[in-house]
Amino acid sequence: MNRPKIITFICIVGYLSVVFTFPQVFSPQIKKLGVLMPAIYGILVAANFMACVGLWYYKQWGVRLYLISVFAKTLFYLLVNQLGFGFYFNIILSFIFIIILLRFYPKMNPNL
Amino acid sequence: MVFTLLKESIIFAWGALVANKLRTFLSLLGITIGIFAIITVFTIVDSLERNIRVSVQSLGDNVVFVMKWPWTFGPDYPWWKYMNRPVPMYAELDQVQRKAKSIQAIGFRIGARKVLKHNNSTVENAIVSGWSYGYGQVKSFEISDGRYFREDEAEGGYNVVLLGSTLVDGLFPNNEDPIGKSIKVAGRTCKVIGLFKKEGESMLGNSMDNQAIVPYNFARLFMDVKSENSDPFIAAKAKPGVTNEQLKDELTGIMRGIRGLKPVADDDFALNETNLLSKNFDGLFDIVGIAGAIIGGFSILVGGFGIANIMFVSVRERTNLIGIQKSLGAKNLFILVQFLGESVMLSTIGGFFGLLLTYFIALLGKDAIDMDISLTSTNIILGFTISILIGIISGFIPAYSAAQLDPVEAIRSN
Repeated sequence: MNRPKIITFICIVGYLSVVFTFPQVFSPQIKKLGVLMPAIYGILVAANFMACVGLWYYKQWGVRLYLISVFAKTLFYLLVNQLGFGFYFNIILSFIFIIILLRFYPKMNPNL
Repeated sequence: MVFTLLKESIIFAWGALVANKLRTFLSLLGITIGIFAIITVFTIVDSLERNIRVSVQSLGDNVVFVMKWPWTFGPDYPWWKYMNRPVPMYAELDQVQRKAKSIQAIGFRIGARKVLKHNNSTVENAIVSGWSYGYGQVKSFEISDGRYFREDEAEGGYNVVLLGSTLVDGLFPNNEDPIGKSIKVAGRTCKVIGLFKKEGESMLGNSMDNQAIVPYNFARLFMDVKSENSDPFIAAKAKPGVTNEQLKDELTGIMRGIRGLKPVADDDFALNETNLLSKNFDGLFDIVGIAGAIIGGFSILVGGFGIANIMFVSVRERTNLIGIQKSLGAKNLFILVQFLGESVMLSTIGGFFGLLLTYFIALLGKDAIDMDISLTSTNIILGFTISILIGIISGFIPAYSAAQLDPVEAIRSN
């Protein structure tokens, strides 16, 4: 497994973002949105983390899960109307990462 | 197929947890403490918030208070200007009532701490409030026995009183029925006509439990109505469809007219709103909630690292078992779900004990401070969500590395 440095960088950014977004799962803002919202947001954080693990192992399912989690997270923020600076920054960064990941996708391991 | 896989994985995981009881206990302790910390903070914050909201609501919804001092102020608050303001007077209530068009109910209230007596029982420092008849329509309260005073009793300054539950307990310790009995309020004989329903402790200190209510025209016989110490105020409730802003505009105009203020002069009264009070507390509780989430969040993360560590040990110990399972045809997904199930189960059990601990703390707190502290279903769901989530996050890497093992090398390992 020869993982390119740029993928390692994406994974480290992803792990750090999980560490810092994890306390948001039970923040009063998310809690106020509804009883199930912390659970939904939590699933998205967990999916993001698993995607990063998949990318770390240079697996295709990592890219697929990363795409799904970014899409679902964007949809979540749109639905709950949390469109601050962080939202746009996240979208731009995720978009750049997705382009990079798709470039490496054919070379990745297709198995679990 | 999926359910069979899940069931088998859970059985395997349960077996592993039971086989290492001490290790299981120690690793779930981190999650227990983390969940206990965070859910306890949320439970206390939610309970305080609920209590304050009920206390604020008891002052009346959509009520504007005409007072000497404002409830909220910024850093550049010119307190010295407010010192010379006059206090609201009962005579002003009549004028406001006549002129205002957007008011549904309006009342006047003064209060002071006085001594209450009944036979040999005495209650010192009871809050005795003098209400105009209309204040009973502005303020929310419940009467458990008896009645509120009539309009003629209020206007005529009859010596009648309504008592809160703490005062009843203090004045009538032998469980006799207080209705119709005479008590002494600040040395004056009063007939008890009603009892307020027990409310419990109030965060704003405005619980009816420690209050005795008499008609204003009776209270002014033993209270200084011009003194700031009597905390006099006029409370006005808007008609349906009238906003508080519209009511405040109207009250400002009327009060300025009554007090003969020139157009350039500042208001010499404050208009306070209950929702302003709630908004201030909302901000405070948001900050406490965020602080609790950050502190609790990181403590749970530390608990998660503990689980991840124990899962790596578990994978290492069972490497040859994994090799045997894989050589017998177990798929990567089966191994992954098996270890992931183990870590989720571990953290969920930890979370359950954390919630149980919070529940007992809430029960103890409820008895100790006579306040409604309860573990809500929202916080229970949140507790389990966090537990499952931390189980997935901390167990995924060890589980995935176990699933990736080569069967031949795994069997050979010691």
